[in-house]
Amino acid sequence: MSPTRREALKTSWMIGSGLLAGAAAWTTMEALAPLANVEGGGALPLLPPEAYPEGSATFVRTGRLYVTRAKGELFAISQKCPHLGCRVPYCAASGRFECPCHGSVYNLAGEHISGPAPRGMDGYRVQIENGRVVVDVSAVVEGAPLGERRFDTPAGPGECRDADA
Amino acid sequence: MIDSLVARAQRSTLYRSIFRTPRDDSPTARALTAFGNVFLHVYPVRVPRKLLAVRSTWRLGSISAVLYAILLVTGVYLMFFYTPAVTMAYGDMQRLQTAVGFGQLIRNVHRWSAHLMVLAVALHLVRVFWDGAYKAPRQFNWVIGVALFVVTLAYSFTGYLLPWDQLAYWAVTVGSDLVHYVPVAGGWLRNVLLGGATIGQSALLRFYVLHVMVLTAVFFLLMAVHTWRVRKDGLSIGDRLVPLTPHTLPVPPAPNVPTVARANSARAESVRVRQMGVVHAASAEAHARLPDDEVFTSPHMLVRHQVVALLTTAVVIVMGVLFDAPLRDHANPNLTPEPAKAPWYFVGIQELLAHFDPLVAGVLAPGALLFLLAALPYVDRNPARLPSARPLAMSLFMTLALVAVTLTVIGALFRGPGWAFVLPWEHWYFEP
Repeated sequence: MSPTRREALKTSWMIGSGLLAGAAAWTTMEALAPLANVEGGGALPLLPPEAYPEGSATFVRTGRLYVTRAKGELFAISQKCPHLGCRVPYCAASGRFECPCHGSVYNLAGEHISGPAPRGMDGYRVQIENGRVVVDVSAVVEGAPLGERRFDTPAGPGECRDADA
Repeated sequence: MIDSLVARAQRSTLYRSIFRTPRDDSPTARALTAFGNVFLHVYPVRVPRKLLAVRSTWRLGSISAVLYAILLVTGVYLMFFYTPAVTMAYGDMQRLQTAVGFGQLIRNVHRWSAHLMVLAVALHLVRVFWDGAYKAPRQFNWVIGVALFVVTLAYSFTGYLLPWDQLAYWAVTVGSDLVHYVPVAGGWLRNVLLGGATIGQSALLRFYVLHVMVLTAVFFLLMAVHTWRVRKDGLSIGDRLVPLTPHTLPVPPAPNVPTVARANSARAESVRVRQMGVVHAASAEAHARLPDDEVFTSPHMLVRHQVVALLTTAVVIVMGVLFDAPLRDHANPNLTPEPAKAPWYFVGIQELLAHFDPLVAGVLAPGALLFLLAALPYVDRNPARLPSARPLAMSLFMTLALVAVTLTVIGALFRGPGWAFVLPWEHWYFEP
């Protein structure tokens, strides 16, 4: 049985309103989506690898990251704590990254040692090109899962967290 | 001389076209004051006498509304001096505090009113729970109230970022990073909220637009419905005048008009008028039965509300004179202050985060709590209103409230750098 005119109109109204609502939602989502990173991204060329000796952590301001070396391996570690986004400073006295907000502690490779963080510190891919360390800051590489610690280095004698700010 | 001039002005056609209500002391005039005025129309003509006592409601809803009005006025002042740009915002704040006349005071009053409003709205919620005023027929108004509480928190949180100092930047970093633990859509949600992976220009502008425009529109809409429903359902304190039977409200209209009311023709007429859609039959019936338990809104309730408004305003002005709103160093994404604390009403969640998985402590626990709060009138089917007659609901609610307060106090006062335990009388790390 074909629908009455009333039913057909009612259905059309509902479909039309649904489409309009969908279009509004889509427009809003597209408009609110973050713009592509205007600050560049891509490859960030740094110093030659010899500038980053074993057991060191060097802060790279332009990339908001640390370049570290543990057990011979180079790492580029995002300064942002994977827990709640605080900046994690490097504590030279303990040789650890110690988050000031909730006390998460990571080793030089950014692997999780203790505290409430859900994984190790996020980082970026590191390559050696033409004798220089190059960090690919266009894509964040998620930190190692909890419990995975392949690059542990011995802890230093001190710690920074308890120092009065 | 002046008296006669005033009297003459009041007799003029112009005056009488504006104020159409007679101003004598007759019951008609008193009734018409509330009835014939668009603003006073939010009041019923008469209110239960019990409402005149402060302890009936502790005036918490009124205090919240007054604080909101103060926030609107001071907020508009602040908008004249503020640019939502990362290069300008902090300098604007400094200029506001040092160069603009009364700028510091206006900012202080805005800030303290905002904090007090979160407190007042939360206490209003507790009071309404305590009196069982969320029960039929007011279930949905409770849900709207919970939504208004959420909007109040959103207001406070978005406003927190705007000064663009270290306090603002890191409190909002910690707060908004919670969002990305939301299952499935978390990362996308945070990106939409911040307009990027970290807090920057997009986030500042988005928070500003949400703060001054979007939330204001939502708040007005919800507030209109909230007030309208209070008015329609009658005041819950009036319910106690009629014997309460479970699930009988609202009473069906016309045929059930009580005989008491029918006997009194004038009163029956007023009941009929109310049933035409102004007030629920149930509350009209309550009014009809015990008319002596009521007083005219004008002047009795109006005077009390004016006192509430004046006292609230006085309190925030005194606070604004005595205490300056904090403004720390310029926001610095490369330096997290120790400790970095969320705004005080979220610091309980932050404390929970130190003990549990972020998904549990940051998203599931607050989400479940909020859902339970909103669903409360539909879950709690016990019709009793007296606290002593509903031990289960009371003990559950008060336990949760106590846990929330304890977590907040520990997080705000007893936590220092690295979230280590400190004693507040030795090291003070709390900034409002």
